Amino acid sequence: MSTGEVTTPAAVGVRRRRLVPAWVRRLDVKVSPYAYIAPFFLIFLAFGLFPLGYTAYVSLTDRNLLNPVSSFVGLENYANLLHDDYFRNAVVNTLGIWVIATVPQLLIALSLAHLLNTKLRGRTIFRMSVLLPQVTSLVAVALIFTQLFSRDYGLINYVLGGLGIHQIDWEAGRLSSWIALSVMVTWRWAGYNALIYLAAMQAIPDELYEAAAIDGARPFRQFIHVTVPMIRPTIIFTVIVSTIGGLQLFTEPYLFQPIKQGALGGSDRQYQTVAMYLYEKAFGSAQFDFGYAAAIAWCLFLLIAVISIVNYLVVRRIRSAEA
Amino acid sequence: MSAVAQPQPVPAPRRRRKIARRFGSAGPLTYLFLLVVAVVSAFPLYWSFVVASHDNAAIAEYPPVVTPGHHLFDNIRRVFSSGEVNVAFWTALGNSAIVAGVVAVSVVFFSALAGFAFAKLRFRGETVLLVTVIATMLVPVQLGIIPLYIEMIHLGWVNRLPAVIAPNLVTAFGVFLMRQYIVSSVPDDLIDAARVDGCHTARVFWHVVLPAVRPAAAVLGLLTFMMTWNDFFWPLIVLTPGNPTVQVAVSTLASGYVEDYALVLTGTFVSILPLLAVFLVLGRQIIGGIMRGAVKG
Amino acid sequence: MSRIHPRRRWNVFAAVAMAGVIGIALLATTASATRADTITLRVSLFGDFGYHDLYQQYMRSHPNVEIKEEIQDYGTHHTQLAQRLATGAGAADIEAVEVGFIPQFTAIPTRFVDLRQYGATALKGRWLPWKYQQAVARSGQVIGLGTDVGSLAICYRKDLFAKAGLPTNRDQVSKLWPTWDGYIAAGKRFMAKAPKGVRFFDSGSNVYNALVAQISPAYYDAKGKLIAATNPRVKAAWSTVIRGWQQHQDAGLSAFSTNWNTGFKTGKFATVTCPAWMMGYIQGQAPATKGKWDIAAVPGGAGGNWGGSFLAVPTQSKNQAVAADLVKFLTNPASQLYVFKQTGNLPSQPALLKSAAVQDFKNPFFSNAPVGKIFATSALRLGPQILGPHQGDIQNAVSAAFQRVEQKKQTPAKSWEQFLKDVKNVAG
Repeated sequence: MSTGEVTTPAAVGVRRRRLVPAWVRRLDVKVSPYAYIAPFFLIFLAFGLFPLGYTAYVSLTDRNLLNPVSSFVGLENYANLLHDDYFRNAVVNTLGIWVIATVPQLLIALSLAHLLNTKLRGRTIFRMSVLLPQVTSLVAVALIFTQLFSRDYGLINYVLGGLGIHQIDWEAGRLSSWIALSVMVTWRWAGYNALIYLAAMQAIPDELYEAAAIDGARPFRQFIHVTVPMIRPTIIFTVIVSTIGGLQLFTEPYLFQPIKQGALGGSDRQYQTVAMYLYEKAFGSAQFDFGYAAAIAWCLFLLIAVISIVNYLVVRRIRSAEA
Repeated sequence: MSAVAQPQPVPAPRRRRKIARRFGSAGPLTYLFLLVVAVVSAFPLYWSFVVASHDNAAIAEYPPVVTPGHHLFDNIRRVFSSGEVNVAFWTALGNSAIVAGVVAVSVVFFSALAGFAFAKLRFRGETVLLVTVIATMLVPVQLGIIPLYIEMIHLGWVNRLPAVIAPNLVTAFGVFLMRQYIVSSVPDDLIDAARVDGCHTARVFWHVVLPAVRPAAAVLGLLTFMMTWNDFFWPLIVLTPGNPTVQVAVSTLASGYVEDYALVLTGTFVSILPLLAVFLVLGRQIIGGIMRGAVKG
Repeated sequence: MSRIHPRRRWNVFAAVAMAGVIGIALLATTASATRADTITLRVSLFGDFGYHDLYQQYMRSHPNVEIKEEIQDYGTHHTQLAQRLATGAGAADIEAVEVGFIPQFTAIPTRFVDLRQYGATALKGRWLPWKYQQAVARSGQVIGLGTDVGSLAICYRKDLFAKAGLPTNRDQVSKLWPTWDGYIAAGKRFMAKAPKGVRFFDSGSNVYNALVAQISPAYYDAKGKLIAATNPRVKAAWSTVIRGWQQHQDAGLSAFSTNWNTGFKTGKFATVTCPAWMMGYIQGQAPATKGKWDIAAVPGGAGGNWGGSFLAVPTQSKNQAVAADLVKFLTNPASQLYVFKQTGNLPSQPALLKSAAVQDFKNPFFSNAPVGKIFATSALRLGPQILGPHQGDIQNAVSAAFQRVEQKKQTPAKSWEQFLKDVKNVAG
């Protein structure tokens, strides 16, 4: 798309400029930003705010899901949470899985995007193939990964056995289940993030690469010094979004359970994430402890906020394109 | 981004080709890696097709079956015959197509709009508002379904498609993605130039920004379409098998003490055929044809 | 392709969006076209209850009624039911509730129609007393009528028994284990000469649940007080099964997991506690084992129950009278007999259990065992089971406790301690 495109409307604009009074233009500059962000906030006000407020309010009560009568208990739910071993366990699990799942995943996504950005034959097929995990149904994903990591019948143990390593009961152990889940999460989301990076890479002008190449930079250095700084905003985006998604992890560990009932996350709650604990308290058992679950939701919110901010500060230190 | 406003360089063609090849070409190692990635990405899908083409007993086989069987059309017939499985699969496919399509288009458009505002326009409170947008992603969704459901009751949308469309018309994810993309891919100078030429903001958006964000718009549209297609948590509570989306229908197939995996995976296989069709038809356009951005030098 | 003028392409997008919006508007406003006086009943079940022809029958005799069935899987169905009861809308006219969840719902009887208003009391005598009682709330409301029962027997592999030197004839096998101690002792005998890799039973928690189902009171006493932690019989049940585990009789599989399914195929265990509906399950999972299975009586002599459901009418229903009528129809003797012939789900009514149709029923997959007689006898023998609101949670906790032992993560003693802690956390 050439810069010529801009001249057409500008030509019209020039003609119109004489007809548009200055105050209209000032109004346009002042008001349009708000108009443009309005759709998001309207939808949010309609469908996002009420659930948020409701959940916040419920967290201060002892509301049971099936019983409409409840009483205000102030911060009692939050106080109980601080002493709750299971909540602590869930937080540890969530952080552990998040670290193991997110960091390699984003690195793989970045490398993948870089490779997909090169002159490939069959470029389209490769690019589309990385999205297939998102197209595969969750039922199939759950089946395959539980089978893959099955103690007696799984492919991975089969290979390990061939290498002389003792069979691992992946689902039973704490670290082993975290690793298995990280593989599942990486498989599902690396391609997704890779495409986001790829789109961002498309906006990098060739000239920058050419300039770097002229300066003698090999492809890897070009990657570090041209690509990464230029897509820094997108990297920040994926880090924050993956943090949020990773700390809210529910679907993958839920599906990994051999017995789904109660969302316990294994016989020892070894991979029960905070979101699963929340689900257990609200829907998964006969407790239907909605007030307590709401408090868990808000604690999770706090946790994610803190960690996202930390992440943002860390990633921001990537040398920006301005440097 | 200062390197942008330079005029288009016109290097000697031969030199240009040599430089481009040094950066852009892919070696055999690259192909190998990408091939492995492609196989690993595709295998579960392939395997679900294999299971769909067998009868139910095959899934518990050990060693596992990896080659297709002969029951695919039988199973497909069973999925669509409302006698055996009481789910309106055609309705489900249609509903999902409408929901995912509308949401994808809406999200792309409104996210580009808001993302442009946050990225390039100056206004009071923009940082606070941007942080608010991001903050809305932080609250876990599992509990929100109860109050949201109550809202739907009051709107009269229970078991109706607007219930699954309206809350998703603009997403924080989309706004944030577009904002980050526009920040780095639409040069300020281009916008300034357009303004100087007398364009008001809407015109700048329509003629400068929208064309420039095509890659991100394409990716966002595709990802949103797929995520909406795959969404099961909310549709499962607000819709019933009488008016389902595809995931609700598939979960109906998964009912019963004896899980008929062959049937379920046939259902999911059928449910992704439209997705694959979108891929194949628009794939070249959307992914393969992701153009170099509007910015060239 | 990219030659299309960008402006036109965006116009295309806009057009598509418009079409989409119009499409929704149309769909949203299209109400289903039915006759003004037709009553549509939504029946929400988990799994196939075999009611298709029964619906046709009812609709023929009630021309103004249309029945729409909705099926979800077990967990989703009950979670959704709870969510819809909580929000006050969306529940079907008839909801199936499984015995694992019925205590939670009898605890909030006001959300369901009291079927005594529609003549339930007069029909009470039809059902096994303990079955009828399970759907009665503390204050006497009858919130559901019983469908089937999952009365227990033991399904065993004749061929594996033969290899280990145990008798294979079902009467002799039943004599091996008049008590659960006898069952464990038989297991010890089995393991002495068992084929490599084969265990005696599939899962500690399955055996334990069958045992506990025969204990009354078990987790709750008659007043509804939680006694799981202090009831010596519960601890004894645990110890008995743990003994079996210590003797390597336990295959350590979780019921309904893929490993368990594969276990049927590969013959990983020789016995499994079998409710009536398990027969269909085994046939579906391991068709190649036809004729290798047989069925013997459950130990303990006191019958047993795993599963079984009820049909209830939420008060949200706009057609309570008709829904209640349909519930009565679907659970009447003729319907239950019909379902038994279709799906093998065992009726919950003594008259049927004693009838020739049930008693003479044999299953060729299971070596022509007189399964009707065996299961009916088991059902008739069961005494009342006292269920409390957190029954399901306690069962989950015990299941996890067995798994921890089977996965060698904790010693039995420590696992039991944790179980007590879990019970306290969940049930107070």
